[in-house]
Amino acid sequence: MSGELQVTNVSKAFTIRHNKTDSLKSKVIGIFHKRYREQRETLWAVKGVSFNVSPGEVFGLIGRNGSGKSTLLKVIAGIYPPTQGKIQLPNGARMGAMIELGVGFHPELTGKENIFLSASIHGLNRKEIEAIYGAVVEFSELDAFMDTPVKNYSSGMHARLGFGLAVNLNFDVLLIDEVLAVGDEAFQHKCMDHIDRFQAENKTILFVSHSMDVIKDICDRVCVLEHGLPVFLGKPDQGVEQYHALLRGNHS
Amino acid sequence: MSSLFRYRELIRNLVLKDLKLKYRDSVLGFLWSLANPLLLILVYSFVFGHLFPGGPANFAYFLMVGILPWNFFAQSLMMSTGSILDNGNLIRKVALPMEVFPIATMLFNLAQYLLALIVFFPMALLFFKVSVTWSWIVFVPILLLHVLFTLGLSFIASTATVFYRDVRHFTEILLMLLFWLTPIIYDAQSVPASLRTVLYMNPVSHFILAYQDALYHNAFLSLDRLMVISILTFLSLVLGYSLFLICKVRFAEEV
Repeated sequence: MSGELQVTNVSKAFTIRHNKTDSLKSKVIGIFHKRYREQRETLWAVKGVSFNVSPGEVFGLIGRNGSGKSTLLKVIAGIYPPTQGKIQLPNGARMGAMIELGVGFHPELTGKENIFLSASIHGLNRKEIEAIYGAVVEFSELDAFMDTPVKNYSSGMHARLGFGLAVNLNFDVLLIDEVLAVGDEAFQHKCMDHIDRFQAENKTILFVSHSMDVIKDICDRVCVLEHGLPVFLGKPDQGVEQYHALLRGNHS
Repeated sequence: MSSLFRYRELIRNLVLKDLKLKYRDSVLGFLWSLANPLLLILVYSFVFGHLFPGGPANFAYFLMVGILPWNFFAQSLMMSTGSILDNGNLIRKVALPMEVFPIATMLFNLAQYLLALIVFFPMALLFFKVSVTWSWIVFVPILLLHVLFTLGLSFIASTATVFYRDVRHFTEILLMLLFWLTPIIYDAQSVPASLRTVLYMNPVSHFILAYQDALYHNAFLSLDRLMVISILTFLSLVLGYSLFLICKVRFAEEV
């Protein structure tokens, strides 16, 4: 697979509704009474972001809370349609977003059933799931608990199963949102090793984190977002400085 | 559509999940899903067979032929109102073809419908002196059309509920009304001609009549009936799926 992930002038607007109504009754009342009418306001969560990420590159997205990182990640993942701009994937690339670990896990189902369910949520067919099943179990070190309902797992076990699945889904483009914040240090090391491996395998990685040490450690380039605007694009060290400057500006 | 085919394993897993969760840890398991139609058939055949006689011959069997497909239709539609909304947690975090949810809901109910048929029809042969005839073969195309018709409406119901939560309650009431406007517990022929027009304005009636033709009257499907249910199916699918396609880009933001 070759080619870059291209994010071109992407903006995303949300309609914020005050007095939000989902029921027909309030809509009808709203016609007659201004007080009950829905007020709409447009909020630009992401404004004109452009960058390319090459295979084998780890690209970091940083910014304060509410700066639009997660929204941008969701737009790139195809969960939200962009209001403006476009996202171009490398030819034939498969993209996977890890917005949250263990998406689609059902507490009543066993570990094994959940691996099959969650992997199929990411579009894998049965053969592909059977092929990765062993690796997922091995990574998560939960061999003895595969027949146990997930509701009886500890939160650490839950996270291990989720991450074990995520790293074995074999995506070409990976979007990772803050998922490494779980688990103990040994587990986090294991996760970092996997990101190194992905990089060696020439995968394209987009990474959102609040941990600046991790960002400096693994990213090749970063983009700093502030109020949805890209305020910096370049080397991680300078990006982190910029980010800290924004934080200080906020406090003063 | 091609991406939908890629996700067939997900559809399968969603259906299996619902079946497993519904019957796991219950002693009688799937037999519970037979309790509802069985009770309805017993009660109605007692009320209309003994208290108000004069209904169709072999009344319990007549009821069975109508109630099983009605239950499939009504339960699918009712469940589909939550197909998108109740999966909001997934839809906000993973990009996937959202059609899988109403489709899986429909297939889950279809599985229960087929299981009920497998249990009820041998019973009918045994107790109601019903015999299998060649006309039963049209059951297959009727079922196929009925399933697709239901799916089209499921697309509409699942989409509409995302924007108006009222749809759930509305559907519940509508289904109650439709049940009485469908010739399930009475014979369409016994309805006065002036009221029969109302009956025929209800699209579900035509499907139930088709089932009755094939399984109760042992008659092959008439061309008229086949045309009507084919057109209804086509309209439901095209309108339902178009609406779904237009609205689905907004689902992740609305659920």
